[in-house]
Amino acid sequence: MGQLLVNGIVAGLLLALPALALSLTFSVLRFANYAIGSYLTCGAYLVYIGNVVLGMPLWLAAGAGAILFAVLAVAIDWLAYRPLRDRSGVTLLVASMGVAIALENVIRFFAGNSPRAYDVAVARPIRLGDVRLNHEQLTILMVVIVALAVVWIVFRFTRLGRMMRAVADNPDLAAVRGITRSRVVACVWLISGILVALSGVLVGLDANIEPQMGWTYLLPVFTATILGGIANPMAAVAGALTLGIAEEFATLVMPVHYRMIVTFLVMVALLLLRPWGLFGTRWVTK
Amino acid sequence: MTAYLIATLTVVAIAALVGLALNLQWGMGGLVNFGLFGFYMLGAYIAGLLTVQGAPPLVALAVAMIGVAALSAVSALISVRLSEDYLAIVTLGFAECLRLVISYEGWLTRGMLGVTGIERPFQNLWPRGFADIGFLAIALFAVLIVYATLQGLARSPFGRLVRATRDDPGVVEALGKSVLNVRVRVFAVGGAILGLAGGLHAFYYTYIDPTQFGPIITAYAFMAVVVGGRGSNRGVLVSAFTLIFLLEGSRFLVDYVHGLGASELAAIRLFIVGVGLVVLLIFKPDGFGREPRSTLAAKSSSSL
Repeated sequence: MGQLLVNGIVAGLLLALPALALSLTFSVLRFANYAIGSYLTCGAYLVYIGNVVLGMPLWLAAGAGAILFAVLAVAIDWLAYRPLRDRSGVTLLVASMGVAIALENVIRFFAGNSPRAYDVAVARPIRLGDVRLNHEQLTILMVVIVALAVVWIVFRFTRLGRMMRAVADNPDLAAVRGITRSRVVACVWLISGILVALSGVLVGLDANIEPQMGWTYLLPVFTATILGGIANPMAAVAGALTLGIAEEFATLVMPVHYRMIVTFLVMVALLLLRPWGLFGTRWVTK
Repeated sequence: MTAYLIATLTVVAIAALVGLALNLQWGMGGLVNFGLFGFYMLGAYIAGLLTVQGAPPLVALAVAMIGVAALSAVSALISVRLSEDYLAIVTLGFAECLRLVISYEGWLTRGMLGVTGIERPFQNLWPRGFADIGFLAIALFAVLIVYATLQGLARSPFGRLVRATRDDPGVVEALGKSVLNVRVRVFAVGGAILGLAGGLHAFYYTYIDPTQFGPIITAYAFMAVVVGGRGSNRGVLVSAFTLIFLLEGSRFLVDYVHGLGASELAAIRLFIVGVGLVVLLIFKPDGFGREPRSTLAAKSSSSL
């Protein structure tokens, strides 16, 4: 039981970073980025290049890869999403799917379809009573908590965070008060790019690095975000934890390979009963 | 070479059906379906499994169409009252879950082993060696029927209603029509076409397994609709038989270009589709075709 809870928390923390990133971009741009799965994959492969091809230690490769990918995320926004900003939400959805397909196939072209792994030493799991915690899980725990704390501090206490919240709340009013929207948008992409790339590394540590890895995370990330109330970044973290624990406990009654179905059922129940999220307010219904 | 041409044309005809279905759901109805491949896969499995059990192929095809239509309606019901983003993720989730169930429930679907020995409709009608041409004729006939039906639908009062719900659901609601009802029906009709396309897929290959169905089917359909012009059935047909034909036809390059394997070629093809989607949406959002009966609306809006 304790083991299930620990595994659930770790699974939830894995979802927390991309869910936070998705919710950040949604709250500022009102656009659900379907490419977030490919972003995750792309970040993981960039770090793989640093770690295995160039031989950097993983922490350095992860830092460099995350920053590189953040710049890439801003570039993608400039090239693909910015020209479409004034069109209907549906157009942006389809465009983000186009971006996802393109990114994933760049990876497939250069890296092939076979799974890869980071160059890390294999270590014995730590035992705490009858709960086992392996080193990857410990890394996930620490990295995610630090990243969340940093984002929370930026969001709550800095000028940039105030600007982001202002644009999310009311872009016109924010513009009147002299906030440059494009600069805030760029910052949002930088932050969410870093978060997604880091989560790619963590997913790669936890399982394998393969072109499909982000695709399988797309549904859980969206579900976690909707659970939190899609435009509410910090609640997305709570949504991710809830979903991670729910998925893990569902393995008691369902085979492990049906995790995705548990996620889907959670989403369906949520959309039917509380589409504004467990923690969100009721604005989202149409 | 002829055999190759026939094979490509059959694949393109089936892809054109998927494109037409998406054009109804997204082009006319404004409902994004990212889970196209799941509904298509369901159609293929219903048709394939029933045929293997001894049902006549045409009956199996009809059941596939009805089944997929019903499930499309259900998946639309979950989220049509919310904004488009939600429908998109629900359809995607549905498709992924369906693929899992089909992969793991071997007692029903034979899992990863796949279903073999699926019988084609009218397969004894053709002389020896002409089976593939015969099947191509059936597929093209299906495309023709679906095209004619959709054209009729687009010009009918219901078609106007569908386009109106896409452009402004508020107005439709104010006029006393039920947006929910229209959207569920659009999704169901689109689902029936996807069921038909999936069934034809199963008949054509006579063997199906879960790896044949992936997001590439969805990608092609979106490409066909974006290039053909959202809402224009003719445009979708033309783009399917030119663009998808070229993309599918590029498979033969494997034999001619050194150092380029089938998987690299597939990656390049999909990369082009992905970038093409974004570029077209930015620079030519209305595609190259034109929605029927949209000229009047365009004129009146440009005079404003």
